[in-house]
Amino acid sequence: MTNDPGPDREQLEREVYRKVVTIRFAELRIRDHVEKEGFGGFWHPGIGQEGLQVGAVSAMQDDDYLYYAHRGLGYAFAKGMPLEPLFGDLLGRASGSTRGKGGGTVHFADASRHVLGQGGTLGSSFVMGAGTAAASQLLGDGRVTVVFFGDGASGRGTWHEAALQASVWKLPVVWICENNGWALSARFTEQSPTEHVADRAPAYGMPGVIVDGQDAMAVHDATAEAIDRARRGEGPTLIEAKTLRIRGHYEGDRQPYRDDPVLGDEIPNDPVHRLGESIPDDVRRGIDAEARTQVEQAFDAALAAPRADRSVIFEDVWA
Amino acid sequence: MTTTPVTTGTTGATDRVIGYSRAINEALAEEMRRDERVWMMGQDIGRLGGVFGLTRGLQEEFGPMRVRDTAINETFIVGGAAGAALAGTIPVVELQFADFLFTAADEIFHKLAKWRYMHGGQFTLPVVVRLPSGVVGGAGAEHSQSLETIAMHVPGLKVAVPATPSDAKGLLKAAIRDPDPVLFFEHKGLYRVKGPVPESDEHVVPFGSARVARAGNDLTVVATGLMVDRALAAAEQLAPQGIDVEVIDPRTLVPLDIDTIVASVERTHRLMVVHEASRTAGFGAEIATQVQERAFFSLDAPVWRVCGTDTPLPQDPELEQACIPSTDEIVAAARALAAI
Ligand SMILES: Cc1ncc(C[n+]2csc(CCOP(=O)(O)OP(=O)(O)O)c2C)c(N)n1
Ligand SMILES: [Mg+2]
Repeated sequence: MTNDPGPDREQLEREVYRKVVTIRFAELRIRDHVEKEGFGGFWHPGIGQEGLQVGAVSAMQDDDYLYYAHRGLGYAFAKGMPLEPLFGDLLGRASGSTRGKGGGTVHFADASRHVLGQGGTLGSSFVMGAGTAAASQLLGDGRVTVVFFGDGASGRGTWHEAALQASVWKLPVVWICENNGWALSARFTEQSPTEHVADRAPAYGMPGVIVDGQDAMAVHDATAEAIDRARRGEGPTLIEAKTLRIRGHYEGDRQPYRDDPVLGDEIPNDPVHRLGESIPDDVRRGIDAEARTQVEQAFDAALAAPRADRSVIFEDVWA
Repeated sequence: MTTTPVTTGTTGATDRVIGYSRAINEALAEEMRRDERVWMMGQDIGRLGGVFGLTRGLQEEFGPMRVRDTAINETFIVGGAAGAALAGTIPVVELQFADFLFTAADEIFHKLAKWRYMHGGQFTLPVVVRLPSGVVGGAGAEHSQSLETIAMHVPGLKVAVPATPSDAKGLLKAAIRDPDPVLFFEHKGLYRVKGPVPESDEHVVPFGSARVARAGNDLTVVATGLMVDRALAAAEQLAPQGIDVEVIDPRTLVPLDIDTIVASVERTHRLMVVHEASRTAGFGAEIATQVQERAFFSLDAPVWRVCGTDTPLPQDPELEQACIPSTDEIVAAARALAAI
């Protein structure tokens, strides 16, 4: 991971492409599993949003802190979490990062990679992220906290409390809104008084940046700038990445509420294609093949892993 | 959990007599001196020293970054503390009134209580939430409640309810050193009460060890917070009447030292629980249940509760007092129970 790509830009783009395409294969593999085998939880597909997730996280340093959102695995994979524990969490396997307490995508974590987890109540990570950043400020550890959230979660009151305090204290935190136009059945345009989530930033005295969420490198650059600003002690930034919810809220959601053309399989402005354009065909095919194999192997391994023993129910309540 | 009750309240050679507030203030200062990772945030705790004066002088000593005044944002104070704990610090935060735990309920009951569990034990959340609690005189229905039972019902939170200056200090020090989140219910009505406190920097009262505040043979009364003093006063009135009351203060409700209570009931054969919190589904119900499960055949009489009314608290100070157990009520109930 790098902050200042410079002459390594090409290498960075390839790395972002590799991660994005890996997560794309993961998305397709998981969808296939959910459709064929059924699934004891909710899978919130992030297909089409992988570019912005990977782009943003690629601007983070290894010891920066991450609070991800519920739409897919791009965030955590980009932060360095291997696929197998992520699939393990999804499938409720003992090999998951939560050692079998998972199921669905809501919780996974990797303390060593500073992937701090997620709350099941939307908007928890606004206040938690600000608190993590306050700790970094106090300790002077130079770390930045990045918090992802959806357009729907932007309605939570915790946003107000966290944004205000973070801005007043100039905390090293970057908020990234994935505006995919929908919060379950609620259309963003019907639940927002402003055209953009980023329009609210000036009220908190912080920059609000709008970026094309289908352009992974643009999101990378916007995030890198915000992270630099945060690390310099100049406070938080709100980034709004414009994207699209390609699938239902969860896989299997028939979306009776949706009156825009339901996108289904087609991904307008597909980040995979956009990133792939600048990579020579043979190189790209090599990356694709490797990514596909990696996903297949990790998924098979997760499927083969045992489910957790019931004893885990009583573990980790207390330290 | 230790089963040996630690009895304090008698003045030892090295004890000083100080107030409950002062004891809390000392615990905060000593722990902040001991461990640089300890810091505080809350409303009006810095420049003012807290609405009840508990944090007076701390910002002067530790600076505005370690004793940090926030905006009016309870979800940030608690949720931010959770996040700050994940980054390796030990936040001790204050909600101006315990009632505001409902304002930060998601952060307390979901983030603090469950984050470690949900994420497979990868994180610890050493957070202390200080909660000025209970009836203090005209503060009203949203500034006077005793909510410790609610805290007790959600797994993942430790719950302290100190009743004396010594326990306030020793339990707070234990809370700050505890790797788990602690809800620390300070009784506002006790802030001015004075009592003996050991001089030592290492006066740490372990969680899960009840205190026998008064030894007796005829009836066990379990009480917490402000009710401990009222139960003790009741016991003094009952003694000349030939009713020898044992008063037990559990000191922490999570973990709960049920062993000490059961052992006492096995001797006295009678149990009464006194709490300021509303009666229905209060911690008295839990203690009564656990005691009958373990010591049913030791009981000579039903377990009784003397509790706060099942109503909101009126703002008028006289009406408010009528809603929580008085010494007279405890005396009357104890006499009736002893006669069964
Ligand atoms: C506090 C809270 N309210 C409601 C929900 C239920 N819920 C889960 S996801 C969701 C929609 C979220 O929309 P958005 O934030 O835009 O994210 P997206 O699903 O579009 O990625 C809702 C209503 C929840 N988990 N937490
Ligand atoms: Mg959305």
